[in-house]
Amino acid sequence: MKGWHFILALAVVGLLVLFYKGLWGDPRTIPTVLIGTQAPSFSGPVVRTGEMITSSRFQGKVVLLNFWASWCLECRTEHENLLALNRRFGSNPDFVMLGINYQDRKEDAEKYLEVYGSTFNHLRDPKGAISIDYGVYGVPETFVIDRQGVIRYKYVGPLVGPAYTNLIENVLEPLLEGRPFPRS
Amino acid sequence: MKNAPILILVLILSISIPFTAAEAATVEEEQIDLQMREIAKTLRCTICQNESIWESQAELAHQMRDIIKERLMKGESPDEIRAYFLSRYGDYILLAPQKSGLNWLLWGGPFALLAVGGLFLYRTLSRWVAQTTITKQEDLPPIDDQLRKRIEQELHSRED
Repeated sequence: MKGWHFILALAVVGLLVLFYKGLWGDPRTIPTVLIGTQAPSFSGPVVRTGEMITSSRFQGKVVLLNFWASWCLECRTEHENLLALNRRFGSNPDFVMLGINYQDRKEDAEKYLEVYGSTFNHLRDPKGAISIDYGVYGVPETFVIDRQGVIRYKYVGPLVGPAYTNLIENVLEPLLEGRPFPRS
Repeated sequence: MKNAPILILVLILSISIPFTAAEAATVEEEQIDLQMREIAKTLRCTICQNESIWESQAELAHQMRDIIKERLMKGESPDEIRAYFLSRYGDYILLAPQKSGLNWLLWGGPFALLAVGGLFLYRTLSRWVAQTTITKQEDLPPIDDQLRKRIEQELHSRED
């Protein structure tokens, strides 16, 4: 095979791979463009009480944002771990956890929290403004914002198994202890 | 009665001005809807496969259309709105990839490959044509009398 035949074959294969990734790639695997950028500010009513909460209230804290919905089965699998996270870090004054209820009905969200339990605040996002501001594709999605208000981590999918351990050991603990943040 | 024409004029104006204002608002709304549609057609519904947020019936697409409308009403340009979605979702949100960087490969690649393929085909065909020898008349075997007679008979039968 001549050299240029090989290059031509390589170009065709490369182009097909690019097209495949572009047309059939799973958007969930596409890295967020928001990592390292200032977290968008947000406000919304608390699911249970309707009290308005604004993100500026959490300035200087490490914030964990978890997007979920009552119709999302994967959210149920990670729910126990979210409660465990809040048990572990919730007493730290520099840490706050917030759930963002995504494309859901108020009564369904309330029932979900009643059944599965809730130890931290959950905001409603009825117009999808918060979700779109955070480039959310689907639920569950989790973001971690550092003390300077910069998005440092995003995880798409349920926080179970290695994803859960990684979040604790390589994201939350370093951020809360002021240790260098390893890229995960 | 001297003031009658003025009164009629005031009456006509008082009826027509609200209508004009309402018409202007409708025209503005239509223009915003039109602009929203044009922007929505260029953005991909992130939870559907290869469908714009204009075509999609998904809740997220519906919310995105509302956000486009809100931003247009605030006076943002279509490019600014597209830039906003790009800053949130990255290149994936655009139905047509941007003409920059590696994306040029996607835009120009098929045409470049077509050109290279055409050149390859031309060269191969030229080589085949060059290798094919055309037999000259003097190189053909001579026709003997028997064959000549048969050809003539054949021609005559056709003329009849």
